[in-house]
Amino acid sequence: MSILLLTSIFLPLAGAILLPARRERARGVALLTALLTLALAVVLVGCYPGGTAPFAKTDYTWLAGSGVPLDVRFSVALDGLSIWLYALTALLTVVAVLISWEAIAEQAPLFYRLLLILETGMLGVFTAQDLFLFYVFFEFTLIPLFFLIGIWGSEERRYAAMKFFLFTLAGSMLTFLGLLAIMLWDFYHPIGTPAPWKMTFSIPELTTRYAARPMDPAMQMWIFLALFVGFAVKVPLVPLHTWLPLAHVQAPAAGSIDLAGVLLKIGAYGFARFSIPLLPAAAAAAMPWILILSVAGILYGALVALAQSDIKKLIAYSSVSHMGFCMAGLFSANRLGIEGGTLQLLSHGLATGGLFALVGMIYERYHTRKIADLGGLARRLPVLGFFMAVMTLSSIGLPGTSGFVGEFLILIGLFQRGWAETLPPDALLRTLSVLAVLGVVLGAWYMLWLYQRVFFGPVREPQGQSHREGDSPIFPDHASMVPEKSGQSPQPPVRDLNLREILALAPLAVLIIWIGVYPRFFLDRLAPTMNQLTAGMRQAETRLERTKDEIRMTKECRISKCRMPEDSTDPRFPPPRPFRHSSFDILSSFGFRPLSFAKPQAAFSPLIPHPSSP
Amino acid sequence: MTTAAVYFLLPEILVIATAVTIYVAGAFFHTQWGWGWLALLGTAAAAAVLALQSGRSPAPVGLLYSDGLVAFTRWLALNLAGLLVLLNFRPSADGGAPETLGSLLLTVAGTMLVASSQDLVMMFVSLELISIPTYVLLYLGRRDALNQEAAAKYFYLSVLASAIFLYGLSFLYGVGRSTNLEAIAAALSALEQTSPAFVSFAKLALVLIVAGLAFRLAAVPFHFYAPDVYQGTTHANAALLSVIPKAAALVALLRLGWWAMPGMENFAWKLVLILSLLTMTLGNVTALWQDHLRRLMAYSSIAHAGYLLIGVAVALAGRNASPAVFDGWTAVFFYLCVYALATIGTFAVWHYLGGTRSVEGLDELAGLGKIRPTAAALLALFLFSLTGIPPLAGFWGKLQIFAAAMNAGGGPGGGETGLWFTVLAVIGVLNAAIAAAYYLRIVGVMYFRIPLGAPRTEGDRGALLAAVACAALLVAFSVLPGPLVRASSQAQPHVGQVANLSHDADAP
Repeated sequence: MSILLLTSIFLPLAGAILLPARRERARGVALLTALLTLALAVVLVGCYPGGTAPFAKTDYTWLAGSGVPLDVRFSVALDGLSIWLYALTALLTVVAVLISWEAIAEQAPLFYRLLLILETGMLGVFTAQDLFLFYVFFEFTLIPLFFLIGIWGSEERRYAAMKFFLFTLAGSMLTFLGLLAIMLWDFYHPIGTPAPWKMTFSIPELTTRYAARPMDPAMQMWIFLALFVGFAVKVPLVPLHTWLPLAHVQAPAAGSIDLAGVLLKIGAYGFARFSIPLLPAAAAAAMPWILILSVAGILYGALVALAQSDIKKLIAYSSVSHMGFCMAGLFSANRLGIEGGTLQLLSHGLATGGLFALVGMIYERYHTRKIADLGGLARRLPVLGFFMAVMTLSSIGLPGTSGFVGEFLILIGLFQRGWAETLPPDALLRTLSVLAVLGVVLGAWYMLWLYQRVFFGPVREPQGQSHREGDSPIFPDHASMVPEKSGQSPQPPVRDLNLREILALAPLAVLIIWIGVYPRFFLDRLAPTMNQLTAGMRQAETRLERTKDEIRMTKECRISKCRMPEDSTDPRFPPPRPFRHSSFDILSSFGFRPLSFAKPQAAFSPLIPHPSSP
Repeated sequence: MTTAAVYFLLPEILVIATAVTIYVAGAFFHTQWGWGWLALLGTAAAAAVLALQSGRSPAPVGLLYSDGLVAFTRWLALNLAGLLVLLNFRPSADGGAPETLGSLLLTVAGTMLVASSQDLVMMFVSLELISIPTYVLLYLGRRDALNQEAAAKYFYLSVLASAIFLYGLSFLYGVGRSTNLEAIAAALSALEQTSPAFVSFAKLALVLIVAGLAFRLAAVPFHFYAPDVYQGTTHANAALLSVIPKAAALVALLRLGWWAMPGMENFAWKLVLILSLLTMTLGNVTALWQDHLRRLMAYSSIAHAGYLLIGVAVALAGRNASPAVFDGWTAVFFYLCVYALATIGTFAVWHYLGGTRSVEGLDELAGLGKIRPTAAALLALFLFSLTGIPPLAGFWGKLQIFAAAMNAGGGPGGGETGLWFTVLAVIGVLNAAIAAAYYLRIVGVMYFRIPLGAPRTEGDRGALLAAVACAALLVAFSVLPGPLVRASSQAQPHVGQVANLSHDADAP
């Protein structure tokens, strides 16, 4: 199995290197490579046993040598969190190659090369079991995408490529410092008798070690913030989302598919892989904030999507909204919510990937993405209309499609938390849960409205759609109204989807329905890992609550001048730092202090002996 | 000079002998070709001798060190010499090939000698052995007003910097009562007890020394010459300027500040840290607005001097704490190597593209991805490495540098020192993101724009070879950075030696 996983990661890279220089051959080889990779991924998914143990693990020494303490390893494996994202990447690359078949005429070999290199990067991100291997792949994905957007994008491609790259890089550089801090803190707090001069970068190992002796909460908060910046830009959470619409709209269709389908997931994946398990106290403390940002994203993305006149831009903003759901699910600290959030990552990848592919196909036919230029396409292009309907309905979250399962689980999770699981009722959580539901309604509104305007009503097609050759076809400034009943437009009719395009979309549609009808197959595989995550987060949260209670009691104690924990001379239990009882007070509640890895402080211990306890 | 000393200095002697041979023979044989082979031969011979020596480590002889720093610097200098000779392989239209190659080899010999100097005078002379041939090189490159200005500017400012450095050395001599570094180290470590009033003189010496070396590093506020000089000279000379003086200055700074001036670290790291913050920020921000390629690379080299100084600051701060990991030395030298490869490679590609007419402006690279895919791909590789995008070697350099800073920030040092270094790391990574903007701009021009005008003529094969060699080494260090990390970590001399010597000095 390990060898299959390793092969599937590097096969695309090998394909990219060996790609022939002629366009026809290049795309054939690219498709073959992508299909082989997908086949390997399917075999791996089929053999995946479930459970929490890493599957198909490969582990090589990379950087360590005599005298080099950095034990960066080449270590890859699959687990419940990564398996579906891994498979999604392999699938979407095939789709991306298929839909670029005709659309990419210029420098085609280079295009497929970059697409395959990007695939290696994305597969690597999801399978990396080493902190720095992850970061290497994480940043490496920027290079092929930068070229894909910049060379084959639309009008503002240069600006979009730069903005995308710089935004992501600026964020991920801080993430880089955060990861360094995680590694260094671990180094200075050995458990048992560690091998000297070795720094552990292994993610599973770090996770168990951090679970065994959690970091000081103030440190956690700092590192959480550092990681947050990079991952939140990727997701994107709302104030950091401005690169997204530009990059998605300007990218070629294949680039948009990879961006929306896979690259946005890397942010959420980073939160689930690093922030929550390694820094549970900070994650618990930051939870309300992240939920606020997520719900803000859900509503803001939906409202802005409503106002768009460009199909691609509308779908790009819908991604902001949907990714808000994923993040809300992940940070709901509820089993169902987290499972739903992870499933929604997959579902969003399928539906939005499909939508971007469809927009690409419409653009290929009409050279426009303006909603106002198009109308009644369901009559002209019934097959395209059918697939669009499937993707749209999944995006809305209609029962029976994948979107429903994901969003429903997320909302159930949020509601369970808001009503059943918080004993002092938390008005904020309840408000957020209700507002999140509003996002579903808005989602139905903008997506159905889009479908109605573009696919129903009188047929409306821009003139000059037959100008398929050449780089700059003449676009009419105004859309010409072709009466539906006349039927005989001056141009030859636009052809519907051909077999290649149907083959690109069919697997997406099948999976969407499959997840919608029988989600158990997917949930069973991701559940064990995600439950572990939930358990860790809940534990941290309980600790946080208990600490807050302790503090409150201490304060009350202080007023009544009773014996307090800080009078304790036991060095194991340092006096608690002042807390303010508000879930909003992230920073002040932990107190701003300079970073320190080395001075060992008592681990985050809520176990201050309560005076009243026996 | 004993035979041992001659044998120890044989690599330097061979390099200088080759240089002198080329100078003298150049006066008699009026050919412009073939000198490159001679220079390569001399470099290879020096490398062979060095390889023979490396088995056993010769004991310090006379005024010389032979520790890890020396070994590392010599190898680095010889490798850089090979690349730079390739870059200068084809004589320029104006002639002057033997003089160019001879001067180049002398700067390399100077760099090698800086590391092994155990005496203030010898260190100064070694540094001048780098400066004086550089003046010649700058005059040789081109024949126009801009070049004259550049050469004159470099000459006067370099002389001034040397004077400041020398002034610093004179204070150091006054405090240490010797020109021998070991004796100075011994005197300084006893200074707190014997004559505390002199401590401020030692600090003054340190400030002047740092100022003099900052000129060679192109660190703020002694960076002003760099953009004008780079712009006014050739690509090959700019490549030399951005690598050789920097390497020599770093070695001298670590040798003097870290090794020879114990007790000054707490002052020194603050000084270097502030210089580093200013240097990288100013270099990166100013580079954003540059349209001239060499001017842009000048600011880029200023910015990278800032990153290198992060490592120096960490090394200085960790001198007494001696952190278990990330001592700063490894970071400095690893970073220096990958920076040198990427920078020389960048200039080599431009030199290659130049052909008969030099590439000057950013716009001239438009559409290079289509008309010259290989050159564009090489250039993109170097620029991404300079940006520090993984998995390229530049990323491993940044990893070392920032890990060192974070370690100094949160490691055993802790406290106020820690806060400073944490701030340094954060500003450092933000700078790395700013730097991406101008490197990407070049890549964007190459790949996202349509070509302007006809494809450029075929350029210099030697430059292409140099670029390919740089790229091959960079890729090798990207995939397997381990060996270079190990080699860089061995550059640190062992501090115990100084302590022992100081006891010996105190004894009588």
